Amino acid sequence: MLVSKLIRCSVVLGTAVMAIASWSASGSQARAEDVIRFGAPLPLTGPLAPEGIKQQQGYDLWAEQANKAGGISVGGKKYKVEIVYADYQSNTPRAVQTTEQMITQDNINFLFGAFGSGAAKAASTVSEKYKVPTIAAAASSSQVYDQGYKYLFGTFTPNDTLTTPLTQIIKAKAPEVKKVAILARNDLFPLAIAQEMEKSAKANGLEVVYFEKYAIGTLDHSATLSQIKSLDPQWIFVTGYINDLLLVRKQMVDQELKAPVVTMIAGPAYQDFIESAGQTADNITSASWWHPAERYEGKDIFGTTENFVKLFHDKYKSDPDYGQASAAVCGALFQIAIERAGSLDRDKVRDELAKLDVVTFWGPVKFGPNGQINSLEPPVFQIQGSKPVVLFPQAIKQGELKLGVN
Amino acid sequence: MLAAQIIINALVLGCLYACIAIGFSLVWGVLNVINLIHGSIIVLGAYLAWGVYQSMAISPWYVLPVAVPVFFVFGYLLQRLLLNRVLHAPVLVTLTLTFGLDLILNNAMIYFFKADYRKLTLKPPMGSVSLFHVVVPVDRLIATALALALTGLLYLLLRRSRVGRAIVAVRLDRDAAILMGVDVQSIYAIAFGIGAALAGCAGVLMALIFPISALTSTSYLDKAFVVCVLGGLGSVSGALAGGLLLALVEGIGSAAIGPAYATTLSFALLIVFLLFRPQGLLGRKGFE
Repeated sequence: MLVSKLIRCSVVLGTAVMAIASWSASGSQARAEDVIRFGAPLPLTGPLAPEGIKQQQGYDLWAEQANKAGGISVGGKKYKVEIVYADYQSNTPRAVQTTEQMITQDNINFLFGAFGSGAAKAASTVSEKYKVPTIAAAASSSQVYDQGYKYLFGTFTPNDTLTTPLTQIIKAKAPEVKKVAILARNDLFPLAIAQEMEKSAKANGLEVVYFEKYAIGTLDHSATLSQIKSLDPQWIFVTGYINDLLLVRKQMVDQELKAPVVTMIAGPAYQDFIESAGQTADNITSASWWHPAERYEGKDIFGTTENFVKLFHDKYKSDPDYGQASAAVCGALFQIAIERAGSLDRDKVRDELAKLDVVTFWGPVKFGPNGQINSLEPPVFQIQGSKPVVLFPQAIKQGELKLGVN
Repeated sequence: MLAAQIIINALVLGCLYACIAIGFSLVWGVLNVINLIHGSIIVLGAYLAWGVYQSMAISPWYVLPVAVPVFFVFGYLLQRLLLNRVLHAPVLVTLTLTFGLDLILNNAMIYFFKADYRKLTLKPPMGSVSLFHVVVPVDRLIATALALALTGLLYLLLRRSRVGRAIVAVRLDRDAAILMGVDVQSIYAIAFGIGAALAGCAGVLMALIFPISALTSTSYLDKAFVVCVLGGLGSVSGALAGGLLLALVEGIGSAAIGPAYATTLSFALLIVFLLFRPQGLLGRKGFE
C-alpha cells in the first residue's frame, strides 16, 4: 500500500518536473529563435586587456543601437542582437579553444575575430572549419588573409597602407631625414608593421641604420635607446602597444634621445597614451585605420561618423579610437549583410559580406578576394598640443607636420 | 662612451631590480614561502603613489613614510590571519594560497583602477644629469638612492635590532629559536610585514619609472624570482648582487645580440645558476 502510494507520488512529481523542464526549454527555445547570437572571443584579462575591453565597448554600442531600433530585420522579422563574450586571457591557444567552444557549445550564429593579427589568424582556422562567417576587427597583417579562407573578413587594410603615406609625407616635408632607426615589439602586428616600414623607407631612399626587435614584457629599453642615440637617426620608428610605447617614450626623454621625427604605432591613437605621456607625446606621428575627425555619410546603422562619435561619447564619456570604431563597424556590417541576405544562413550571409560595397561611418567598405578590406585610406596624424591632428588624407587634413620631438 | 652609458644604465637598473626583489627574498628565505602576491603589492604601491600625486600633487618621495606602515600592516595581517594557517603544509599549498590571493588583489585592482596603463609624470619633469656625455635620469638616480637606503636599513634592522636577530635566528634554525623563547608566529608575521612594506615602497618608487597597471605585476614577480636565484635567498646583499648581475647581463646582452634576446639570456643564466650554483652568488644559510 505504502509502496504503491510512493510510486504514484513519484510518478506525479516526475511528470510535473518533466513538464516544467520542457516548458522552460520551449520558452528558452522561443527566446533563442528571436535572437541572433554573435560570438566575441576577447582578451578581457591579461596584457592585452586594455585593447580587448575597447573592442568590447564597440560591440556593445552596436548591439545597443541595433536593439534600440528593434533588432536586425531578417525576411520581415526582427531579431534581437546578443553578443556572447568569452575571455581568452590574452592567450592565443586559448583564443582558439574559446572560438571552437562558442561554435560547438554556445550555438553562436556568427563570429567576431579575436584581437590582433596573431590570435585572429589562429582562431580563424576553427571558424573556417565550421564555415562560420567571421569579421576580424583588429587584424591587419596580410599573413592573416593569405590562407585562402572563404569565411574570414577584416576591416583593417594591409600594414603598408599605414607606412607608405607616412614615409611620403616625411620625405616631402622633412628632406633632412636620411637615417631611420626601427624598434619593434616581437609580436605579429608590431613586427609586421615595422617590416613594412623598413621596406617603405628603403623604397624612398632612406637608410635604415637600426632594426631590432624587443621581447614582449620588456621592462627596460635603456641599452637599446643608448645604441640608437649613438647612431644619430633623424627618424625613430617604434612599434608596440600602449605600455611598451609609454615606457620607450619615457626612457627616450631620460636618455635625452631627440629626433626631428618620432613615429609610434599603435599607442598614440589611444587617448590613454596622450593623457599618460602628457607633453612628451607632442609631435609624435602615428597612423591608424580610422580617426574621429573623418566625415563619412554612412548607410549603416550609425549613419555619419559624427553620429557614431556622439553616440559613443554619450555612452562612454570619451572619444572613440580606431579599435572601438572597428568593432562597432564589424557589427554594423554583419547587420547589413544579414538584412540583405534575408536569412541567417551562414553561406548566404558570407556571400553578402563578400559582395559588400557600401559607405559606412568607418569609410567605404569593400572586401578584396582574400577577405581583407581594400577600400579604406587610413589617416596619418600627429599629436600637437596633446591633440591628434590629421595630416593625411587631404580630404580630412587638419594641420601640417611639425618637426622636432624632444 | 656607448659602453659607459650602457654600464651606468645597467647599474642604476640593477639597484631598482634589487629593490623589487628584496622583500620577496626575505619572505622566501625566512618563511620558505614563494610569495606570488609580491608583484601585485608592488603595483598597489605604484597606484598609491599615482593616486596621491593625481589628487594632491604630492611627490612619491613623500609617500614612502606612509607606504611603510600601511603595507607593513597589510602584510602582517595577511600572514597572521591566512598564511600562518598553512605554513607547515607542503610548499604547493602555500604557493596555491598566495596564487589565489594574488588573483584576488590583481583583479580587485583591475576592477577599481581599470586595465588602462597609467603614468606618473612629475610636473615639471626632473630631467637628467650628464657627465662626460653619460646621461642619467634624476628620478632613476633618486629612486636608486632610496632603494639602496631601504636595503641598508633592512641590513641594519636584521643585524642590529632584537627583532632582526630573531628573524635571522628563525631563518637559521626554527626549532632552536623556539627553544630560546622566540615567538615564531609573530616573527613570521613581522617578516612578511617587512616584505610587504618593501614591496609597497618599491612600487612607490617604480611609479615614476614604469607604466602602472595591474597587468605588470607578473613582470615584477619574474624579475624578483630571477634576482633571488642569482643573488641567493634571504640575503640582503645577495638581492643587490643579483639585481646588478641581472641588469648587467640584460644591458650588455641587449647591446651585443639585440634586445629580443636579452630576456632569454637572463633566463639562460638562471638555469646555469640553478645547475651549478643553486645557492646563488651570496646565498648562505642565514644572514650575515
